[in-house]
Amino acid sequence: MTTKPELDLGRHLLPGIIAVGLFVVMATLVVRSSFGDPTGFGGVGSVTAAIGFALFDILGAETVPAGTEGFLAAFETIAFVLVAALVGGVTLARREVEGEVVTALRSEVDRRWGPEQTDGGSPTEREDDAR
Amino acid sequence: MTAPLQYYLLLSAALFCVGLFGVLTRNNALIFLMSVELMLNAANVNFVAFSVYHGNLTGQLFALFVIALAAAEVAVGIGIFLVLYRNFGEVDVTVPTTMRW
Repeated sequence: MTTKPELDLGRHLLPGIIAVGLFVVMATLVVRSSFGDPTGFGGVGSVTAAIGFALFDILGAETVPAGTEGFLAAFETIAFVLVAALVGGVTLARREVEGEVVTALRSEVDRRWGPEQTDGGSPTEREDDAR
Repeated sequence: MTAPLQYYLLLSAALFCVGLFGVLTRNNALIFLMSVELMLNAANVNFVAFSVYHGNLTGQLFALFVIALAAAEVAVGIGIFLVLYRNFGEVDVTVPTTMRW
């Protein structure tokens, strides 16, 4: 028997209506508002090159459009945040097997179980017999 | 030549509300992550649209940083969900209630 997707109404109905209602409110506001013509990036040859200049604080009338700020400090901060996220991911991926800590980089269990166990699976029957 | 600013704002509002809908009505943590990503991308569309509108590049640069932050957030988020799956056997956000209050 084929089934078709069903809407899960009930306790999710009110939050769903809230989300759709928010879109109606925002769309009404946007449609009723009026903006002038966009300024555009006149005078700068390449937008991509200008982004590169602004990333490294190389500001000037011939490099970036007027009003663009330098972002070197934010660039370095984001680099630090990305490293922190990487370390956080490795830390969270740590697990314990039979009371021993197994990380992505080092494992005491691997030496005992053999390198084929690094995927975290359980030993196969043939390996159990061999042991 | 360029589309009016309202079109971008409408697209952005729609993206944001799709993301909000997902966060409010789903229980799966991975769908949560995707929905948050949709909301961040709605902000990015606004940043780039207003960057062209005002004629300076700050908005485009900020969108780049939002993308990088989203990558960091997903890295930590998926790590947390791995631990969640290991401890509870599923990635339902309503199951782990120890740190809720």
